[in-house]
Amino acid sequence: MDHGQTIEVFDARVDDVLNWLRDNAGFVFDNTRAALDSFYGGINWLLATPNPYLVMAVFAGLGLWLVSWRFAVLAGAGLFFCSAMGLWPETMSTLALVIASTALGLVIGLPVGVWAGYHPKVDQLVEPLLDTLQTLPPYIYLLPAIALLGYGPATSLVATVLVAIAPALRLASLGIRMTPNEYIELGNASGISPLQMFFKIRLPFAVPSIMAGINQSLMMAFGMVVIAGIVGSGGLGQAIYEAVRTLDIAKSIDASIAIVILTMVLDRLTQSAGQQKTGATR
Amino acid sequence: MNSPNTSPTEVLIDCQGVWKVFGEKSAQAMKAIAERKLSKTEVLREFDCVVGVSSASLQVRKGEIFCIMGLSGSGKSTLIRMFNRLIDPTGGEIRIKGQSLMQLDAKGLRAMRAKHIGMVFQAVALLPHRNVLENAAFGLEVQGLGKTERHEIASKALAKVGLSDWAHKFPRELSGGMQQRVGLARAIAADPEIILMDEPFSALDPLIRRQLQDEFRQLAKELGKSAVFITHDLDEAMRIGDRIAIMKDGVIVQTGTAADIVMNPANAYVAEFVAGISHLHLVTARSVLRPVAEFQKSHPSVDVQTLPRSGPDVDLDGLIGVMVDAPDHAIAVWDGQNLLGVVTSKGLLRSVQEKPVHSPAEA
Repeated sequence: MDHGQTIEVFDARVDDVLNWLRDNAGFVFDNTRAALDSFYGGINWLLATPNPYLVMAVFAGLGLWLVSWRFAVLAGAGLFFCSAMGLWPETMSTLALVIASTALGLVIGLPVGVWAGYHPKVDQLVEPLLDTLQTLPPYIYLLPAIALLGYGPATSLVATVLVAIAPALRLASLGIRMTPNEYIELGNASGISPLQMFFKIRLPFAVPSIMAGINQSLMMAFGMVVIAGIVGSGGLGQAIYEAVRTLDIAKSIDASIAIVILTMVLDRLTQSAGQQKTGATR
Repeated sequence: MNSPNTSPTEVLIDCQGVWKVFGEKSAQAMKAIAERKLSKTEVLREFDCVVGVSSASLQVRKGEIFCIMGLSGSGKSTLIRMFNRLIDPTGGEIRIKGQSLMQLDAKGLRAMRAKHIGMVFQAVALLPHRNVLENAAFGLEVQGLGKTERHEIASKALAKVGLSDWAHKFPRELSGGMQQRVGLARAIAADPEIILMDEPFSALDPLIRRQLQDEFRQLAKELGKSAVFITHDLDEAMRIGDRIAIMKDGVIVQTGTAADIVMNPANAYVAEFVAGISHLHLVTARSVLRPVAEFQKSHPSVDVQTLPRSGPDVDLDGLIGVMVDAPDHAIAVWDGQNLLGVVTSKGLLRSVQEKPVHSPAEA
């Protein structure tokens, strides 16, 4: 058998499928793209429209509430630095992309995670899928995604959502599965209904794990931002990608610093939110 | 379900020939046991199934504290979990207040657990993110009672276990003994007739344990609750239980009062268990006495009416006190106006010696 020929046939098939999808299911992708674009656009508008100082103040306020006054000062100063580097709009659109993709990732990841936590069979099915998703280099699905959704925020959003799903799903499933057995017995012996079991017993014990998952999803999303820049995400990712192409090292370092600042601010905020939620359990 | 005037001997838990076989082929194993009388090892070899409880029968009456004593692996924890179907029996019949448990659907079972059977666990299982009051109110919350109402009832339950001042603390702020009191308050808050106690005091230190044992017994009697109490500690079983069942390898080897078991152990295993237990405060006149007729046959000259008297619930220690001054070496046991029988010095000495009172040589 001629292997080369087989591969050629396979490649042709892949192209055919993509073309077929574009021709026959085009409206699906067009609508998906429009929906994703407007979701991202809405969040971006919310962050980029107000005066930058107002946004900085809001983040400093959150820092004061959830972490400490020292962190609040640092967060405010960090964001001010982003603005001083002339990267404020890019920083905000990156933040919008990360928030939008994490939100979508959670919308998919958390319910499926809870489901998988209840049913080991679902977990067995989902696990290899997540493994594939996490080990597959993003470049591989970015190209087909561009083919179907086009160059722009929608594609980068999808790429980022895909990496954000895994941690949220895994840790939600783990949290639900790890409910201590004595509490399950307590619930059952008290005559609890399945719904009450979820809300009164399983969920409270799963909250720390779920919050860790949300934090991890956010971090994964930040990790994708630069790669997403290649497919036209806009924001800091694209700024870095373009700086790299033109060998503008200073610009690329500026944008990297902005990403690091943004990542650290959100990491601490969500971590502390998680701990505060579960403070009573310690 | 029941008439309000229930008789004192009403059976609340009726457990007849109950089996639990663990394993994937438990149904076939159960069938084979019934048809071919397989032993535990044969079941394990042939079906890869473990027999947890085999043919357990017992009855718990209203107001009674029934202890199930056994070492780890004896099946006692499995048995108690079948009384509220946390574990489903493989065979046999369990009736709670006359209602067959296996015939209940999910909703009926939830109602039964919520209203009629409370449970206290060795691990206590207080929800860490709720305060003591909210924990005590958990069962009522599950039943759908409003916040004010359930907190009011839970406060009363906490008062009964002496923890009123701790209502707004969190479980982690309480000592082990206090946590277990909250567990008990949670179980009695829903006012069930039956409380299942799964080794509740095993993890506590000896002093607190004894205190809680006495408090629990007093509280259960005061509230008129029936309780099934699991323990691996014979002293605890005797301290708390009106009746005791001893389990070994999934089988109930003997059921009876503490005195029954200590005086007449059913087999070598039980005998070994009770060997160290002093009879002095356990055995009462009732189980040492001999019928009047029998006594008169061997002592025709003695008038029973003139003998020193004692009640039926006087223990050996008390009987010895009377016996040392008894001229005819005999004590008449009276229950009010009824003459129940006679305790002889010989019988008394035998029972102090921890030998059967009515040995064949004596009869």
